[in-house]
Amino acid sequence: MNGISVDVNHLKKGEVNLGTSIMACKFDGGVILGADSRTTTGSFIANRVTDKLTQVHEKIWCCRSGSAADTQAVADIVHYHLQAYSAQNDRDPSAKVAASLFQELCYSNKDSLSAGIIVAGFDEMTGGEVYSIPLGGSLHKQEYAIAGSGSTYIYGFCNTHFKSNMSEDEVIQFVKTALAEAIKWDGSSGGVIRMVVLTKEGPRRLIFYPDEYEKICN
Amino acid sequence: MSLQEALPDSALHSTASSVPIEHRFNPYSDNGGTILGIAGKDFAVLAGDTRNTTGYSINSRYEPKVFHVGDNVVVSANGFAADGNVLVKRLGQQIQWYHYNHNKELKLSSCARLVQHMLYGKRFFPYYVHTILAGLDEDGKGAIYSFDPVGSYEREQCRAGGAAASLIMPFLDNQVNFKNQMDPATNGTEPHPITYLSLEEVLQLVKDAFSSATERHIQVGDGLEILIVTKDGVRTEYSPLKRD
Amino acid sequence: MPGLSFENYQRNQHLATSGFAVPKTTSTGTTIVGCKFDGGVVIAADTRATAGDIVADKNCEKLHCISSNIWCAGAGTAADTEMVTQIISSNIELHSLSTGRQPRVVTCLTMLKQHLFKYQGHIGAYLIVAGVDPTGPQLMSIHAHGSTDIGYYLSLGSGSMAAMAVLESKWKREMNKEEAMALCTEAIESGIWNDLGSGSNVDMCVMEVGKDSVLHRNYRTPNVRAQKERSYKFARGTTGILGQTVRNLVDVVEVPIANEEMEVDS
Repeated sequence: MNGISVDVNHLKKGEVNLGTSIMACKFDGGVILGADSRTTTGSFIANRVTDKLTQVHEKIWCCRSGSAADTQAVADIVHYHLQAYSAQNDRDPSAKVAASLFQELCYSNKDSLSAGIIVAGFDEMTGGEVYSIPLGGSLHKQEYAIAGSGSTYIYGFCNTHFKSNMSEDEVIQFVKTALAEAIKWDGSSGGVIRMVVLTKEGPRRLIFYPDEYEKICN
Repeated sequence: MSLQEALPDSALHSTASSVPIEHRFNPYSDNGGTILGIAGKDFAVLAGDTRNTTGYSINSRYEPKVFHVGDNVVVSANGFAADGNVLVKRLGQQIQWYHYNHNKELKLSSCARLVQHMLYGKRFFPYYVHTILAGLDEDGKGAIYSFDPVGSYEREQCRAGGAAASLIMPFLDNQVNFKNQMDPATNGTEPHPITYLSLEEVLQLVKDAFSSATERHIQVGDGLEILIVTKDGVRTEYSPLKRD
Repeated sequence: MPGLSFENYQRNQHLATSGFAVPKTTSTGTTIVGCKFDGGVVIAADTRATAGDIVADKNCEKLHCISSNIWCAGAGTAADTEMVTQIISSNIELHSLSTGRQPRVVTCLTMLKQHLFKYQGHIGAYLIVAGVDPTGPQLMSIHAHGSTDIGYYLSLGSGSMAAMAVLESKWKREMNKEEAMALCTEAIESGIWNDLGSGSNVDMCVMEVGKDSVLHRNYRTPNVRAQKERSYKFARGTTGILGQTVRNLVDVVEVPIANEEMEVDS
């Protein structure tokens, strides 16, 4: 329009940001998701007990990073589609279906979204799956995934400490330590560590307070 | 905090779609507040609120900005507080040096000319202030001099400066110089005669002007400090203002 | 591009950069808070509205009614908080009529966030939504871009820092109504004194399970106008009379009555 160019692939002014540390990881018997709980507007902590782990189906959850508004809107739409899916097909959707929905939304609206999402789900067929959907809207199936501003500090840690088929206790310790490090070094991450464990028994929530997790990394 | 302030206005208000963000140091800021000077027959008053602000924050609820700089001269430089303080301090020093060099008092009119030179001396990096000078002239009459940031000045009967100047000035025109008023004694046929107000009346006007400005301007409030100049010297009066 | 068109907004932005004056909107540079307690929830707001540095309204209403059991405190652009609240209020009424159920706070929240997200932050409404519904007392907040948060205590607006300082230091679990009201009052007053965008009075709304919501308009008035030193009544004759004309609105014409000549049928 009249040669006025626009750069919308950028956080809008005053937008609530999830400067985040999030991750998800497969283990023996399921998948686990983890996140910090800080939301910021500029330097102000708008919420220190945010829940960035969002349920889109009974055993399919996602970790949100980027713009709070964008990721919530996307997760709400996926949540709607998965409800419709299970009602129409009379069976639970797979994690792959959920991840594909996320990817479709993130890719086709890439110009107006700033959303980095990790999708993790449990189903009887595959055991557990982790998908990562970074900014451009690509889809990557992984053994474990890390994302958000805090993730840059823990690439090395995760690379050396990740093992296939960890036990539940092992994987919780792995995620807790990784996120504790990310929170320690990243100013935009903080608060409590929230986790969701997805097994055939269904979702189980965990919470770890700073008093506890700060001790494991110094 | 300092990083935020260092950004120019254009950077703070720009959105993703407008001009590229320019990261340049901005040496100025606005500390709000308002000042008001009125000259009487044989006195002059210069008043200022005591609130000091940046943005939506209050830096201080009591930070005086009207000062006696010697020789029965009071001055206030309102706007960017750091520049204001420096200007007042340097003016005080200049008056001291004048005493040492000439062993006599500096006339108010000379003081005003000195202030003009000090302001114009920084023509291309100005003191970001509206300056008002108050005192008594050679005949002992009250005098107010007001200056723009680069030294243009004028002697006046009254003047308001700073954040709420535009709110107070019309009130002063009406109440001090009787603008838009006819003489009730002539049943609205002759203009109101120009008369000197008493000190008591002037102080009432000043207090009412400030309490009204406090109601409608967010940067004005907390306290009012009035410096009163008579032939006997300078006297200070303080009264509280609303703190919201 | 899917969704709404913002090309007029971009044109205006372009105009603004080339020196075209942008109209000032009344902003509720505000302090608003909300706090849950045992058996209910309370929200509160200050009453100052500003346009730039000038106080536009000294006693405006920032607490909006969505339905009898759901209220909302608004910060941001005054017109946006007012209109968005009215739209959702009427949609909620229609929704509860068609479902035959009492409206829920989450329903409000979802409608508001979807509306605001659609407008990509151009509707500058920052809201704290609270109420009691069949699922119990609820307290949530929404930002202009459409993101939402849930909490036991929340604050929003330019005075949210000052208010949150009070909430973070004095909030505790298991408060009763009076304690929650006192906490919210103190949080708002902290905004009134320490934030230039907030001022004047405290408004409050208390919503309790099984009871009607109570709006306390001007619950606290710590900023009554000071008594003036002088009277500014103008004496009669102060206003100059430049000229005077008297004009008759009706023309009075005298018509002689000719009784003798008149013939009257009888």
